Amino acid sequence: MKKLLIRIVMASALLFVLNWIYTKWFYKKDVAKHSDILELVWQVEADSCRIVYLGESSNNTCGVEETGRKKISEYLAEYFPTMKTGDMTKEASHAQTYYYLLKNLSKKSTVETVVVTMNLRSFDARWIYSNLETPLRKQLVLMEDYPPFMNRLLLALKAYPIRSEEELDSLTRQHWREDPLVFPYEFEWDNVYQWDSAMAWRGLSNYEGQYDAKWTELACHYIKSYGFQIRDNNPRLKDFDDIVALSSKRGWHLVFNLMAENVDKANAYVGKDLMYLMKQNHDYLVNRYGHLEGVTLVDNLNLVRDVNFIDQDWTTEHYYEEGRRIIASQVAEAIKAYYPDDYREQALPCDAGHYFFGDEVRDLNAAVPYGPSLTLSGDSLPADWERVNVAFMMQQADTLHETNLVVQLVNPDGSAESRYYPPQCMKVGAWDFSTYDLSVDSAMRAAQQVKIFVCNPSESAVQVKRMDVSFRPAYLKPGVKARSSR
Amino acid sequence: MVFNSIEFLIFLPIVVLLFYVLPQKLRWVMLLAASCVFYMWFVPKYILILLVTIVIDFSAGVLMENYADQPKLKKTFLVISIVSTLLVLMIFKYLNFLTANLSLLCAQLGIEKRWVTNIILPIGLSFHTFQSMSYVIEVYRGHQKAERHFGYYSLYVMFFPQLVTGPIERPGNLLRQLHEKKAFDYDNISKGMRLIIYGFFIKMVVADHLGAYVDKVYAEPSAYNSWSVMLAMAFYSFQIYCDFFGYSTIALGSAKLMGFDISDNFRTPYLAKSIAEFWHRWHISLSTWFRDYVYIPLGGSRVKFGRWTFNILVVFVLSGIWHGAAWTFLFWGFAHGLLHIVEKALRNRFPEKEMQSKWLSVSIDALRIAKTFVLVTLFWVMFRATDFSNMKDMFVAVVSNFGGGESLGVKPEMWLYLGLFILSDLLLFNTRFDRWCDNKPMALRWCIYGLLVFLTVACSSVNSFPFIYFQF
Repeated sequence: MKKLLIRIVMASALLFVLNWIYTKWFYKKDVAKHSDILELVWQVEADSCRIVYLGESSNNTCGVEETGRKKISEYLAEYFPTMKTGDMTKEASHAQTYYYLLKNLSKKSTVETVVVTMNLRSFDARWIYSNLETPLRKQLVLMEDYPPFMNRLLLALKAYPIRSEEELDSLTRQHWREDPLVFPYEFEWDNVYQWDSAMAWRGLSNYEGQYDAKWTELACHYIKSYGFQIRDNNPRLKDFDDIVALSSKRGWHLVFNLMAENVDKANAYVGKDLMYLMKQNHDYLVNRYGHLEGVTLVDNLNLVRDVNFIDQDWTTEHYYEEGRRIIASQVAEAIKAYYPDDYREQALPCDAGHYFFGDEVRDLNAAVPYGPSLTLSGDSLPADWERVNVAFMMQQADTLHETNLVVQLVNPDGSAESRYYPPQCMKVGAWDFSTYDLSVDSAMRAAQQVKIFVCNPSESAVQVKRMDVSFRPAYLKPGVKARSSR
Repeated sequence: MVFNSIEFLIFLPIVVLLFYVLPQKLRWVMLLAASCVFYMWFVPKYILILLVTIVIDFSAGVLMENYADQPKLKKTFLVISIVSTLLVLMIFKYLNFLTANLSLLCAQLGIEKRWVTNIILPIGLSFHTFQSMSYVIEVYRGHQKAERHFGYYSLYVMFFPQLVTGPIERPGNLLRQLHEKKAFDYDNISKGMRLIIYGFFIKMVVADHLGAYVDKVYAEPSAYNSWSVMLAMAFYSFQIYCDFFGYSTIALGSAKLMGFDISDNFRTPYLAKSIAEFWHRWHISLSTWFRDYVYIPLGGSRVKFGRWTFNILVVFVLSGIWHGAAWTFLFWGFAHGLLHIVEKALRNRFPEKEMQSKWLSVSIDALRIAKTFVLVTLFWVMFRATDFSNMKDMFVAVVSNFGGGESLGVKPEMWLYLGLFILSDLLLFNTRFDRWCDNKPMALRWCIYGLLVFLTVACSSVNSFPFIYFQF
């Protein structure tokens, strides 16, 4: 036994030496080969960044023909020119990846503020059981808390979940079948599987009223991507909680950047039931993280309009320049409080056909019934402005009001036609958003004046903000931004 | 549970520790429980298949001994046991193959009938059924006393170090040892650790790195030039050797930690001068199983040449089919058998003469070794190919792609790993790593351990390559 103990001591010494050799001469090469995301951490440290932006492909994806190809983090950096802002961007990453990256930031690093992308879809089964998960988890092994030699052993032993595509597919399907969808009202389907099958079976008609296979397929994608309810056992929550704990321990300002989703399309293709789930999940995250000390949650969920989404045939958070700038400006606004002296206002360019009425809150009631109004002459609407997405946020004290989105057409003979669209807001006493996909028809083009506004002529007051009007062609192509003359 | 996993590296020390801590009478319980955990780590329900085999063969053993004086009855029990064990093997291993071929045959004959079965092969089925069969045959022959303790018998079949890919142990060796009291011995720990480290090195560093090159070429042979395809063939010879030898060595080491000596499965097979010798050095536990339970009962070599030829072909074809339910395996076995016969015929026609010159003798031996290696390597193509078409593509690429095609682009470190392995294999000619280390100075031994551990950890492949023999 004594001999064994001596050998154990010798073996420990040997391992110590081997760890030293490995760390000195092999580790960096291995990191470059198997865990290149760790190099992002080293880069942030080497650049002495004070703000670091952690994101996935939403940060660095640009449209094919875009001239402004900056990342969201680069636009963010423009708001703080006197400070170094870095980014750690890895495709398909999620909260667990961000946690590992942050965990590996040296205690000596100059980072003060971390902006962490919070992607709604990353809570969904399709992302949790994505086939990109295995390579991603493999990347994290060298970032464990053990000595590098031990981490390399873990990598060699494949100490990370390895699942085949069939297995992942089966887990996703199982989740779709077994995860119940609970609505506060009668809903036809019990789970995503049934809902998706029904959508595929019934089909979706396009603007011309004809069955459209592509639209149907896309609607099914939306159901599968957003048709879930975040519950307390969702694995992403633990990772975000870990980020909060780590951030608090390290004294960072933590900003969760809840990314914009294509709510316009979700609403147009699937409708209010999907919107309900998206809003419910959004509220869950806002309630869980939005009120924590040292944590700011930037809520971008409905801030980017359909025309600014690059992938028109899939559900992603890839935005054209305007979209990326909107997100950056929102994050900058949140960080401004920490660095008021370093903050420099940036002009937010608005694309042709896009009209945003800002964050100013308007009270609408019988005395002041009209909210901000967009007024255009019918003949100024370019031919390729065939649809218009309108969105606004509203807070209601009760449901007695008579608020509507109004599209008013004033004809050359002086007569007026008003079209009313009721809001989709369900919450009482909290902000909620509505979004509409309306047709720019011949009557609108013939009108002398087209007015788009929110109106509440009732005694029961509502508050309205962020009215957002975006004209666009009827059919958007993926990857190539629709261009219009102003 | 696979050996090259973090789970096993946690599991093994716990089992070894418990083994020495527990009193002798409880050790079998712990080892059996550990073996169940080890096996159920893959697909838990498959343990039921194992249980069926164990119950049948255990009962057959006891009954054969009880009715030893009634030869007919004894034989009946043997037949029942073997038939039922083979039936299990047939259903889980060969039914897919049979139904697919039957459907194909019907289609050829214009019969509109299709059978489709999709049975998943339980891991290690071929190994533990053969081990179980060896027990009943030995009891039938009277070479082995029937085991009366169901727990010990179960442990004999399920002993975790050799459960899923052998070595296929005989009851005379393993069952006997399971009953023995094993006292803690530093030497066993030391030797076991040596074997485990060496096994991990050859599996994780050599076999898995080679696997990456081999997979690339076999996936698209026509894309590579002839030299690369030949290289991939040669690499596969070493990949399968290192993979299986590595696994067997870890198995040996794991058992050795607890004082159990299980059989060597390899003895430098690529230094064989003939196919016959190759099979004396390759997967020894399987070769001897077929020798003892098929070849010799068929008459062995003490028959006329024609009959002997038949015996050899039967044994090799069965050996091929044992590996996998596919025509490629059958042909692989057949090719080995045929070559064995040709070699024997040539030896009979041209008997070996004693060489006067030592150098000439060495040179001829070297040529024979090279010839055997080349032939075995060519046969491995049948073994590795996914089907005949893939096999054909490999051979076509060898002869037709001299002019063009991609180069395999072997990294220099691959040659280093392979070179180290070949060197170690030459040094270990007719011995074993643990024994080879015995008479080396301590400083040298520890340098070797350090090198092996370092290479295993820092240079192992990070790609996932399951043990090749798991599929059998």
